[in-house]
Amino acid sequence: MLQGMPSQGYYTRKGGEGVLSGSTLMTGNLAAAWGARLAGVDYVPAYPITPQTEIIETIAKWVRLGQMKGKLVQMDSEHSMLTAAGSASLSGARVFTATSSQGLLYGLEMLYNISGWRAPILLVNVSRGLAAPITLEPDHNDVLAARDSGFLQFHAETCQEVLDLILLGYRVAEDRSVLLPAIVNLDGFYLSFTREKVELPKMDTVSTFLPEYDPPAPLRATKPVSHGATVLSGNLYSYFRYRMHAASLEASEVFRKASAEYGGLFGREYEATEGYMLQDAEYVIVMSNSFTTIGKQVVAKLRERGVAAGLLKLRMLRPFPFDDVAKSLAGRRAVAVFDQNLSPGFGGILYPEILASLYHKKNRPQFVLPVVGGLGGKQLTVQELERVFESLRNGPPTFPDRPDPMYLMREDEFDRAKRNIAIASGGG
Amino acid sequence: MMIRVRFHGRGGQGAKTASRILGTAAFNEGLNVQDSPVYGAERRGAPVAAFTRISDGEVLERGYVFDPDVVMVMDSTLLDNPTARPLDGIRRRGVLFVNSQTGSSFHGIQTARPDIRVATFDLTGEALSLVGKAVISSATAAAAARIIGLVTDGSLEKAIRSELEELGLNDELIEKNVTLGRKVFASLEPVELSTDEYFVRSGLVPFELIMGERTGTEEITSAGNSNAVKTGSWRIFKPIIDYNKCTACMVCFAYCPESALTLRGDYKPVIDEDNCKGCLICYRECPPKAITLEKEVREF
Ligand code: SF4
Ligand code: SF4
Repeated sequence: MLQGMPSQGYYTRKGGEGVLSGSTLMTGNLAAAWGARLAGVDYVPAYPITPQTEIIETIAKWVRLGQMKGKLVQMDSEHSMLTAAGSASLSGARVFTATSSQGLLYGLEMLYNISGWRAPILLVNVSRGLAAPITLEPDHNDVLAARDSGFLQFHAETCQEVLDLILLGYRVAEDRSVLLPAIVNLDGFYLSFTREKVELPKMDTVSTFLPEYDPPAPLRATKPVSHGATVLSGNLYSYFRYRMHAASLEASEVFRKASAEYGGLFGREYEATEGYMLQDAEYVIVMSNSFTTIGKQVVAKLRERGVAAGLLKLRMLRPFPFDDVAKSLAGRRAVAVFDQNLSPGFGGILYPEILASLYHKKNRPQFVLPVVGGLGGKQLTVQELERVFESLRNGPPTFPDRPDPMYLMREDEFDRAKRNIAIASGGG
Repeated sequence: MMIRVRFHGRGGQGAKTASRILGTAAFNEGLNVQDSPVYGAERRGAPVAAFTRISDGEVLERGYVFDPDVVMVMDSTLLDNPTARPLDGIRRRGVLFVNSQTGSSFHGIQTARPDIRVATFDLTGEALSLVGKAVISSATAAAAARIIGLVTDGSLEKAIRSELEELGLNDELIEKNVTLGRKVFASLEPVELSTDEYFVRSGLVPFELIMGERTGTEEITSAGNSNAVKTGSWRIFKPIIDYNKCTACMVCFAYCPESALTLRGDYKPVIDEDNCKGCLICYRECPPKAITLEKEVREF
């Protein structure tokens, strides 16, 4: 760890170390940079992309000013960035890197390698809708394209969670029984550029929670080892893939224990899922990431009107928290799954995962409504979510018909989009 | 209690910094705060917005503030800007503040929206006399802080100092901004903000409607449609061509990134004022210095 570093204090552009009272306003991007700094990372291969760039800019400044000891290297693409990240991790370095959207997809091939190498790097993804058409604002098709890569996935609702999940992410990823890389996801704009209160943990306490990475077989010039060997046979390949799956499943328990310890040290404990007004809720919406906050607002409003509404937030997506989801949703009257992503020709990506968690439960909800919304950062409005709950309360059209999915867009938003398209098409 | 403040300014004018100073000031008072800017791929001079949400409870909102209690317009030319739309969604009994040097009391707006309160103050004038520059982030934050009435001048001062220090301003400039903030704060009065929720009555679009359309980007086929975005409203300075000095060398025509210059019959340039965004490349490149500048936005 970084001996002799100030245990607290934040960088100001004048170069001074400001004094922190413990809690301060910061953006999601700054919280992510702080996560890397507090984790005492050794190596940060970097490549800029909106809306992530602030994270590596901040780290670059800290490194330049000697406030952070790690080495930051700007690479020539996300693919080389991730290759460098994985290989450095195999040498025993604690590695941090960050990307977004197209950048994540450009490096996607390497994600499967890094997990196969069992190199526990931490990658922050700042969600942004994928081109084409091009946008800067978030949805989760980018991070969910990495869903099957073997990376653990943690999704943040708040700037505080960004920081905490990075520290927890390293702890779980580097655990000897896991040894898998992790992604911490935060939404572009809604978190990346949004300031809210963040408690900054003390560096020395973080060091107790997250001691130096101790790799089982580090690459050394004096002691050559082989990682990610060529197998050329299905038998060996299957064996290693199953081992990886087992390690990911194991991460659930490791996360639970690590989180309990984190709670003891810092006062914030996290579960794989989080319930909001879930007790005695009859109608529940499942959400993830920053729009969960808007979901909570709607649930609170409905409660005031006497509707038994509730919300289940997915915080850990890989390993998938089957049991938590089943326990939280079984016995409810109706459940909506809000997917801020779209698999064209299918629908929302998380919907079937929720159904899979519930299918074998005796008291599974009779009505699970698929909802897609917030694509490319389209603001999720209270009206839309109120309509979702209305649909839940009206029940399925004619059981056992498959419920009609809801694709959220307000009439006024649709009209505005049509107007813009007309102008751009030379009509208007 | 939750108060939503929406700032409208032009890129470079300090809307984001103003939202942060207000946020930090309220945070210094022990309140819960969330602040954020929105910007796309624009640049200096383009309309931008920033938001500060302040609450004594949890802030269960995110993103664009559609229904503000207070709107701070930092440049009165934005009032009828079709991109900025600063009047949209202001809550009943909410406040519209306009930074203006004209002395206008904005009767037209008051007549159109009798349910809101309009306040105005010459922040730019104060900034020019106290700071020596038309920078109004701290002045705007001070005005907002005073209007919402939840922030003491002490917390405001502390916030101006910490936010401007983070931006790398020198001590002298920071102190001048503190003086400016104090002056503005003392010149305005708090407003009782018991606003009503602002409802958007709009149904949801049935998916069949989207299915029934061709909605791919292949629909957008006309090239050069960026003309429809009147980037002329971004200008801070307007280039003026002195046709007596112009030698018709066409250098400006070649350099203009917006294709906002066309050539007359004598190969001398004409500026398309709707689309010239005021980047001033033509002004810098013109060999005989035949292009001069005229300041356009008074509040900037
Ligand atoms: S300032 Fe000159 S170069 Fe720039 S857009 Fe206007 S005409 Fe073109
Ligand atoms: S660059 Fe100057 S001299 Fe040349 S055409 Fe343009 S205005 Fe005239």
